[in-house]
Amino acid sequence: MTRPRLSEVARLFLRVGVTVFGGGDPTIAVLQREFYRRDWLTPDQFAIAFGLARLTPGTNVLAFCAASAWYLLGAVGAVTAVLAATIPASVLVVWITEVYELSKRYALATAVVNAVVAAAVGTMIGAAFLLVRTQTSRTRWLRPVVITAGAFLLPFVGLSPLRIILAAALVGFFWVDA
Amino acid sequence: MNLVVLYLLLVKATLTSFSGLASLPVIRGDFVLRYHMLTDRQLNTAVAAGRIGPGPVGIYVVSIGYLAGGVPGACAGWLAMITPAFLIIPMLRFLGKRAEHRRARAVTRSVLCAGAGLMGSAAIPLARDVIHGPLPLTIVAASFALIAFTRVDSLWVMLGAALVGFAAFQL
Repeated sequence: MTRPRLSEVARLFLRVGVTVFGGGDPTIAVLQREFYRRDWLTPDQFAIAFGLARLTPGTNVLAFCAASAWYLLGAVGAVTAVLAATIPASVLVVWITEVYELSKRYALATAVVNAVVAAAVGTMIGAAFLLVRTQTSRTRWLRPVVITAGAFLLPFVGLSPLRIILAAALVGFFWVDA
Repeated sequence: MNLVVLYLLLVKATLTSFSGLASLPVIRGDFVLRYHMLTDRQLNTAVAAGRIGPGPVGIYVVSIGYLAGGVPGACAGWLAMITPAFLIIPMLRFLGKRAEHRRARAVTRSVLCAGAGLMGSAAIPLARDVIHGPLPLTIVAASFALIAFTRVDSLWVMLGAALVGFAAFQL
């Protein structure tokens, strides 16, 4: 794994914080892709950060930012990541609050945001694909495929992400590959 | 309103929820029904601002703080939003070397696969919101291909999509 500099961590989280629309899941998808591309985080570290973030109160993606950056650079990294991911985005949200009524009539802004959200959708599917690919091989594919398919389908019957993560953890605990 | 009280009310809401908008009932109970600091319309504006802007949906707490107490209120909201995130650090420390155990690794890998499935399923409602014709569908497919099969920086994928959206609107 490559150990990044603090400025690189700050730059990545700041950039993701202001360019990814659509909520926490697309943000995690983009971060996962960038960690993978830069060789910053192992799949195990990503999984722990992702799973624990779901168990942390508040906005899950911020806990994920703190955890993933903690793996990279410890507490300083965690604080830097959370600040970089939230301060510029918060300034933007205050501005949007001010101009909200105006922006509802501004069709160009809506068209651009919709296009970026469409890209976020593609990114989420791509990131999910990359995650599963790191966990499967010719001989070990059944458990990853079963769990991924289950986690994909269960939200549609009303099970919360937190419960799905806990159920997956239980399956993993009892279904250990030889 | 006193900024400390504003922060405490908002942090109460964020600490007792486990996802972006799950804090909404607590915030409505305190800000709209109990203290009458905001109206339902302002609450809706805050939620909409959080959804329109970049970042997590939970960022609407900043907007709530802003509407209740101006820029200092927004700072209190921001602080209330980020405070719970750091609770994950002691959990990571506790996990430490235990995470390397064979069974623990099986658990983390299962969680990772569940994460992939959840990511895929979270993409469905977003896709429903924005795919209204061939152009957004093409953007989704192109983004997927670029992310999954190339090493292109995701920033360019987002900026490219924004440019395509801009150009399509102008045409």
